[in-house]
Amino acid sequence: MKSITIDPITRLEGHGKIHLFVNDDGSLANCYFQVPELRGFEKFCQGRPVEEMCRITTRICGVCPDAHHLAAAKAADAVYGVVPPPAAVKLRRLMYNAFFAGDHTTHFYALGGPDFVCGPDAPPGERNILGVIAKVGIDAGKKVIAQRARGQRVIEIIGGKKVHPVTALPGGMAKRVTKEEQAEMIKIGAEMVEFAKFTIQIVNDVVLANKAYVDMILSDPYTHKTYNMGLVDEKGKVNFYDGKVRVTGPDGAKHAEYEPKNYLDYVAEHVEPYSYLKYPYLKKIGWKGFVDGVDSGVYKATPLSRLNASDGMATPLAQAEYERFYETLTKDKSGKTPVHATLATHWARVVELVYASEATLELARDEEITSDQIRIIPEGIVGEGVGIVEAPRGTLTHHYKTDKNGIVTEANLIVGTTNNNAPITMSIKRAAEGVIKKGVQITEGMLNRIEMAFRAYDPCFGCATHSLPGQMPLEVIVHDTTTGEVINAQRRYC
Amino acid sequence: MKPVLVLCLGNEYISDDGFGPAVAARLNTGSELPDYVEVLGAAVAGFNLLDHLAGRQRVLIVDTIRTGKSAPGFLHHFSLGELAPTHHLTTSHQISLPTALEFGRRLGLAMPAAVDVLAVEADDLETLREGLTPSVAEAVDQAVLEVGTWILENRVKEVPDNNGR
Repeated sequence: MKSITIDPITRLEGHGKIHLFVNDDGSLANCYFQVPELRGFEKFCQGRPVEEMCRITTRICGVCPDAHHLAAAKAADAVYGVVPPPAAVKLRRLMYNAFFAGDHTTHFYALGGPDFVCGPDAPPGERNILGVIAKVGIDAGKKVIAQRARGQRVIEIIGGKKVHPVTALPGGMAKRVTKEEQAEMIKIGAEMVEFAKFTIQIVNDVVLANKAYVDMILSDPYTHKTYNMGLVDEKGKVNFYDGKVRVTGPDGAKHAEYEPKNYLDYVAEHVEPYSYLKYPYLKKIGWKGFVDGVDSGVYKATPLSRLNASDGMATPLAQAEYERFYETLTKDKSGKTPVHATLATHWARVVELVYASEATLELARDEEITSDQIRIIPEGIVGEGVGIVEAPRGTLTHHYKTDKNGIVTEANLIVGTTNNNAPITMSIKRAAEGVIKKGVQITEGMLNRIEMAFRAYDPCFGCATHSLPGQMPLEVIVHDTTTGEVINAQRRYC
Repeated sequence: MKPVLVLCLGNEYISDDGFGPAVAARLNTGSELPDYVEVLGAAVAGFNLLDHLAGRQRVLIVDTIRTGKSAPGFLHHFSLGELAPTHHLTTSHQISLPTALEFGRRLGLAMPAAVDVLAVEADDLETLREGLTPSVAEAVDQAVLEVGTWILENRVKEVPDNNGR
């Protein structure tokens, strides 16, 4: 057998590549997934005041800037050894939940929705938000736009700007909220809860009513029995802003629960020669390759993982939807049995959307948010800090070391999607095994099934901040395992 | 809201992705722009683009692209519908610009009749660094001239609202 070298590719043409190696009997030998990655983060941070990271990192990711804003703020709090006052924490949480509600909405209707609601075999021209609108009605489309605008308005009020918030500082927040702004946010919170109920209805009527969909969710190609990670509060409920990191096993048993500052005791990063991607894994279990199971350190950090790792949701409507989710998919509403079907992530996003909406309303109603006690000025410095939040697409870690003046000397970032690099590779391989056959021309539908496998992770590769025009270009290349020769290839959007 | 918009997209912390902001900075600090046009720099993606486009009559998007078929610094001209996909599509929302526009139209939002694109062939879109690579930096002057020409060719009479403004 020839030995084939796949370079990490210093300059990808700007698209993802999947190399599939197929044996003579048609079975899939191996799968290599490559995407362009942002490089030079640590060097970029060095020499900057750590509080600047709260504003700079929002611009690295134009899609979930709020997640970076708050993770960086929490890390900066720790660098300076300060705990923000309760009112400041509530403001951060309120802004963050409003952001989550908007972001999950956009994802469910515009990205995951097309697969989940229209189905993988819908024609490509319909497999986008326009197809979703056709299924659920123009009214739904208008509601999606309105929901996004609401989320952005809360971010503007508390964060100072739409899209890219600027007000979080070490020790708290830079901007107070007035009674008028509070009243506006209470109204927004109530509208968000109504929209959440509307979305639950969509899941009911369009998805669950159709048994074929449920079967599709539960079918094998998209299932990996890995560990699951998510932040939980002191009652073990899902929390996007703060708490301990909890990891549970493929069978649901608790593996670990730790303070963010100790993350390096539990998570390590594996590297492969063909890619710049890093593959985080659980240190205490060890790296056993791209495999799942209780003996493999591979873990997932996604909305589905958060639900699996937790004991439930902190608000009533969300808890009811959580129970319905687990009852439908595991026959056990307690949630003790984890759901591993990757496609169920789209539904998990809806459960979180409901929680985020209820939390927005609850926090907006809290009298303390108009307080002027929103900042503690740091008086000393620790020189190192870790900030962990749940980004919409997974656990986000910011880790900074500084000199005695708070200037960054070292920086490490694990973004939401990075946690899932190994599971994404495995899902692609699993999906490819189901559809790629030697000698059979790769069709659009096959490519879509492969893409669907990782779309469910809502991946954020390359942390782009603008779009031109908007689909991830992807190339699937099939090699003969013995000779390495390319025997089939298909590109889309490139 | 001005009827004509030049939307310069990009992130000035990711090397050549800062092309759009560089062009916007030059346009906004040069001589006064005609009163029917607005030049905005924005680091937004997907649905967030819709917010900028709704209500405009004519739009020019200034951005980066990587076709791999031209030398870095080459200025591509497209109108919507001809766009070739590029690297920085990988927003998690992956909603394409044409889809976003169509979505807006179907919902009855006033979307621009035409969207033109001026995109520079980028060299580096992966390194976190402030500053453009040399070939791309050299293209800024030409891009500013071309945007100026586009602005003059897309003169629109602003329709006064009920307050006569």
